[in-house]
Amino acid sequence: MALPTEAPRPGGVIHDIGYRPYTGPRLDTDAAARSLFVTGLLNAYGIGRSGRAKGLPMTLLALMVVPAAIMVAVMVTLRLTEPLLNYGTYPVTLMLIIVIFVAAQAPVLFSRDLRSGAISLYLARPLSSTAYALVRWASLFVAILLFIALPVIVLYVGALTAEADIAEQSRDFFAAVVGIVLLSAVLATLSGLVASHTRRRGLAVGVTIIALLVSTGVVTAVQAITAEAGNETAGLLAGLFSPFSLVDGVQVELLGGQSSFQVPPDTTGWGLLYLAVSLALVAGGLWLLVRYYRKQAGR
Amino acid sequence: MGIIDTQGLTKRYGQVTALEGLDLSIGEGVTGLVGANGAGKSTLIKILLGLIAATQGTAQVLGHDIRAEGQRIRSVVGYMPEHDCLPPDVRAIDFVVHMARMSGLPPTAARERAADVLRHVGLAEERYRLMGGYSTGMKQRAKLAQALAHDPQLVFLDEPTNGLDPAARDDMLALVSKIGRDFGISVLVTSHLLGELERVSDHVVVLDGGHLLRSSATTEFTSDTGLLLIEVLGEGDAQTAMGERLAAQGIPCRPRGPLIEINAPGRTDLHDLVRDTAVDVGVGLVRLAADHRRIEDVFREEAGHGAAH
Repeated sequence: MALPTEAPRPGGVIHDIGYRPYTGPRLDTDAAARSLFVTGLLNAYGIGRSGRAKGLPMTLLALMVVPAAIMVAVMVTLRLTEPLLNYGTYPVTLMLIIVIFVAAQAPVLFSRDLRSGAISLYLARPLSSTAYALVRWASLFVAILLFIALPVIVLYVGALTAEADIAEQSRDFFAAVVGIVLLSAVLATLSGLVASHTRRRGLAVGVTIIALLVSTGVVTAVQAITAEAGNETAGLLAGLFSPFSLVDGVQVELLGGQSSFQVPPDTTGWGLLYLAVSLALVAGGLWLLVRYYRKQAGR
Repeated sequence: MGIIDTQGLTKRYGQVTALEGLDLSIGEGVTGLVGANGAGKSTLIKILLGLIAATQGTAQVLGHDIRAEGQRIRSVVGYMPEHDCLPPDVRAIDFVVHMARMSGLPPTAARERAADVLRHVGLAEERYRLMGGYSTGMKQRAKLAQALAHDPQLVFLDEPTNGLDPAARDDMLALVSKIGRDFGISVLVTSHLLGELERVSDHVVVLDGGHLLRSSATTEFTSDTGLLLIEVLGEGDAQTAMGERLAAQGIPCRPRGPLIEINAPGRTDLHDLVRDTAVDVGVGLVRLAADHRRIEDVFREEAGHGAAH
């Protein structure tokens, strides 16, 4: 009988196996882009970061969803067949919470890497600076989309369980969702641009909040004044200058939703102009973002 | 063909020339890239990574052209920048996993390798802490770990010893040496401290004001100068007494600091003669060593003439 060459030692033994080269598969840049997208989306909600980073986004998300949940509860209890709040007007009603979320979380995706210097590590990897900028934007866009759409989905599901008219509810809901997609894209573009150019988080938050709230406030004021004076065109033009009134206009005129503003577009021509301005804003903003990150490579 | 080849590589920023007609061929192993601040070391690395375009000239990294195949190069090369590059609100393990995935590793492999490289750089337990609380030494290790996460064939280490205390500096240099010799990864490591690279690198490239000053094996830099250095201790002025006695015996010598420099190449009995002379003079012989050149000396000699700084 052959003796074992090495007797098993009691308790086992830890081997220093030294450096092991990697011989497995290496994925293409699409896989890296997907990974960056998912990590960015999670980071926007504080997941994968410090415990403190989760506080604000999670609190805001709760503030966003709780009113919708309460409305559903009321609806079901009182056996109402209509939701208390229209799907399309919900985002404008909770505008302040949305603005705070956008302003606070855009710097997570657009200022953090620039400030910490991690951008140079990303750019030294296969993903191009253009792809990096677009993926970062996509993460922020989806983060905002989920944030705004979640309570509306809660309302919709609540309406369905409360035996409301399914066809009517579904039509309103999908119109609202298209509007929310557009709103998220516009907000992600604007806040991403501000955050990447300011770098300092506090500054980016302040500038974004002021820009979004003040512009919407000005639009409301101008529309009230011009409506009083009977000049509707000026009011409609003013509506182009806030993301909320802009997307509201598209949603009202082209998708048949309910407006939250005093002077919504009333002809298809105005609706198309509102849509064109929204899309141009997103396209132009993305172009600026891509150009900005391409410059970062040389720093 | 070497790991890195450049032909007439030139980079100008307006009037400022960062690199001027650089012709290099760097082989496997550890290569030190030495030069004063602003000599063009970081610029060269960024051009080789394809992050900035060269004004003129061409270069190949691992056989890939920097203009046409930047993406290929970046997938097989690791980069540790000189400046801070770690997000403070992330744990080292999560960050290195993320960076490995950014280099194209599948999720499971990325996690395994991240744990592996963090252990190799000496961040075993600390890897579960947020990097914002790291000391400079730990940050440098985490930066090194992310550069190694995807098992590159070549790593660019830009000033890895920057800001480290002497003990941490020694650790980092030992690690650099280990990467080149044990891990089988070629290393291009920069430093503005000329002395420290001669300990770890096989080859040294000296840049000065964007020009290539010299590129040769480290052994050539640190070759024997043919001089003998001795140090004596004794009552009174032992150094002078010893020097005069040696000179009296026809040995050409002169003082160099507290040492005596003997310039008598070819004399086989020199060591015995020095010993006997010390006994005669009545001084203690505390040092008897061949004089080696240091990279610093070469740099001073060759850069000293042209450069006006």
